Amino acid sequence: MRRWLVAAILLAVLLFPLLKVSPYVLHIATLIFIWAFIATAWSYMGRFGLVSLGHGAFIGIGAYTAGLMFNHLALSPWMGMLLGGALAALLALLVGWACFRFGVMGDYFALLTLALGEIVSLLLVAFREQTGGSLGFTLKRVGSSWLYLQFEDKIHFYYVALAFLVGALLLWHWIDRSRMQKALRAIGEDEVAAATLGVTTIRYKLMVTMISAFVAALGGVLYAQYVTYLNPHTLAGVGPSLDIAFKAILGGMFSLWGPTVGTGIIVLLEEYIRVNYGAKYIGLSQIAYGIALVSLIIFLPKGIYGSLEERLKRKKARPQK
Amino acid sequence: MLEVEGIDVFYGEFQALFGLSLEVGEQETVITVGPNGAGKSTLLRAVSGLLPCRNGSVRFLGQPVHNLPAHKIVELGLAHVPEGGRVFPRLTVMENLRIGSYTKKARANVEKNLQEIYELFPRLAERRIQLADTLSGGERQMLAIARSLMSGPKLIMLDEPSSGLAPLVVSMLFDFVGRIKSQGYSILMVEQNVRKALELSDRAYLLESGKVRLQGTREEFSKESYIRQAYLGL
Amino acid sequence: MEILLLNALANGILLGGVLALLAFGLNLIFGVVKVIHMAYGQCVMLGMYLIYSLKSMYEVPLMAAFAVAVVAMALWGALLHLLVIKPLLGAERLNQLLALAGLIIVFENLAHVVWGADLRGVRVDLPVVSMGNIFLKTSNLLAFLGALVVLGILYFMLQRTYVGLAIRAIAQDTECARLMGINPGRIYLLTLTIGGALTGLIAVFFSPIYSVHPHFGGSFTLMAFIIVVLGGMGNLAGGFLGAFIIGVVTSVAAVFTSTEWAEILALVIFILVVLVRPQGLLGARGAR
Repeated sequence: MRRWLVAAILLAVLLFPLLKVSPYVLHIATLIFIWAFIATAWSYMGRFGLVSLGHGAFIGIGAYTAGLMFNHLALSPWMGMLLGGALAALLALLVGWACFRFGVMGDYFALLTLALGEIVSLLLVAFREQTGGSLGFTLKRVGSSWLYLQFEDKIHFYYVALAFLVGALLLWHWIDRSRMQKALRAIGEDEVAAATLGVTTIRYKLMVTMISAFVAALGGVLYAQYVTYLNPHTLAGVGPSLDIAFKAILGGMFSLWGPTVGTGIIVLLEEYIRVNYGAKYIGLSQIAYGIALVSLIIFLPKGIYGSLEERLKRKKARPQK
Repeated sequence: MLEVEGIDVFYGEFQALFGLSLEVGEQETVITVGPNGAGKSTLLRAVSGLLPCRNGSVRFLGQPVHNLPAHKIVELGLAHVPEGGRVFPRLTVMENLRIGSYTKKARANVEKNLQEIYELFPRLAERRIQLADTLSGGERQMLAIARSLMSGPKLIMLDEPSSGLAPLVVSMLFDFVGRIKSQGYSILMVEQNVRKALELSDRAYLLESGKVRLQGTREEFSKESYIRQAYLGL
Repeated sequence: MEILLLNALANGILLGGVLALLAFGLNLIFGVVKVIHMAYGQCVMLGMYLIYSLKSMYEVPLMAAFAVAVVAMALWGALLHLLVIKPLLGAERLNQLLALAGLIIVFENLAHVVWGADLRGVRVDLPVVSMGNIFLKTSNLLAFLGALVVLGILYFMLQRTYVGLAIRAIAQDTECARLMGINPGRIYLLTLTIGGALTGLIAVFFSPIYSVHPHFGGSFTLMAFIIVVLGGMGNLAGGFLGAFIIGVVTSVAAVFTSTEWAEILALVIFILVVLVRPQGLLGARGAR
């Protein structure tokens, strides 16, 4: 995207809260930032053909590690983020290494990650003494504090979440420029060929998987701190895992802005339906969401943003013919 | 019987056949030769409906077939035996043959067809309850051809039937093709083994880079110095 | 303890019978259409809800409700094929997977909206059969026998009829099958209709045993996948074997631990199979 356009959007987004908007609007925006952050992290792997349907595992590990440490040991969530992220990255390393070493790819990789996400969710429920099981637990309130990442107003979190999202987008850029990207793109296109060319496939795949897991875990902590409530079914398990994948793919997981666009559309859509049709029909909004998703996969396999991007590219290419 | 006129065939954006024309007359045996990648297999796949033709037309028994799906073309009497002796691996020999008579027309005569095939191919009769992937390469190729005959075709297209077979088996194979020919079938055969294929043929085409480079009757073809040098080693 | 274990074993085997049906449906669809039907368990759930509605809300006699459910789910399968699977036949595998996963969301929430979150059950009072110290619920026994009968019929259909032959041919080599005059589109539709009818049948067998809720499909879908991968994807005999293994393992595990740990165990088995022997117990080497 044009530099000036990006700068303009960034400026608008930065100045937005100062326009005396309602806390509700800020709340929605913050949610979009947080989930877009996680969706972007998901896409680090997704865009190279490593489709994970179990990112809930990392989100959950991050959130629960930081949350439990905070509640019981008064550990700052910033430390909790690093700890949770490290644990998530470790899990990613173990599972990733096992998969890549045994040549598990494509569908099987996706199914395996699905199982993994579900295992983490079930473990969180099984240890109900410590985690509160299916009902989850709440974070202790400490009022507004930068150290403990809790705020009474909405504005602070808006900016924190935004900062994180920008960070994730910058990280995408950095990955794009690195040697990792070229290697992973080759792997994405033809794994066998890349291997024979001497590209150390396993190393790069592991790297990007661990980064994705780490950042996703950070997102989990961020979300938990924002809503001050943790629940295994909203953070880990099949539901949130698929959710994240959908948000990224809907927007277009191969482009930088795709996951953000996708998240924005989905969150806004859900809110709109919820507000207009009441909580009774929350199921209805999900049905509409599911149908929209399936339809989009059928008709726009590159996602909304991705398809737009392609159209623009094609338009540019034509005059040269 | 078969008239191919000016077809263009693509694999995605890559063009494999350029305005290709060819014909096979009634009870004729026509062979198509050429180097690898010339488009010989592509031609057969386009005719049998596995690949779409972007331009041009294909007519079989006077009827246009270039827009028909493959399963409808078989019903009209046009059979295609793909390359590599492909049979249904986990079906028995007998099941492979029976599925050859899947079309309504053929199904009515399934038992009769089976008997005829067993007479023509006694080896297959012996092995009728064996799973197809336990057969040898030569037997599999026979089965593939026999299976196509089960549909009661008028024209049978063979894609490199001798490829991958031991020399002794190759002789047997061409004997079979000769027998099929003498039973009155029209044959369109793609082959690498030009010498043996030419012996059986009435007419021949040379394909190179998706275009017809040479064509003629058997005599004309064998006299062509280019053919003699490049393909007959003379 | 031994008695508990024996009972768990026996009931595990009975459960295995119905799971074998589930695995068969999934394997058939995967083998023929080459698509992983992620929402298969949810279809069973919808079938159960249908039976519940017919019986409890419209007072339809039970047998009639069963018959209607099977037919309705068969049609549902056909509809799914036409609306979702057929348009995606040429698409990326990932997109197929995700679209069907998206259906999970649609079906579960459909159930939620129409029938609410509470458990819905069909009350069928059947006696308990005892063999020595083993107590078998008649509902489980009937389900087991019913499943075997259905499997027998399906096996016969696949092995002895022309249609069955065509289905097997399409599964083994779609291109060659087309060259035999087989219309793949029709076979796919048929396969999904049969698969749908199977979900209806499973719903029939499950109705006297379980109460249904919107997340009912979830655990069965997961279990179905574990079975299918264990037996080898697309391998019908493998699915049969895998179903009994998983049926017994989960039943026995449930005796010793909570449901969560039993599920975790099953999932770990799944992961190990995917890593170490992805072709499953009966799958051929190199077959994925």
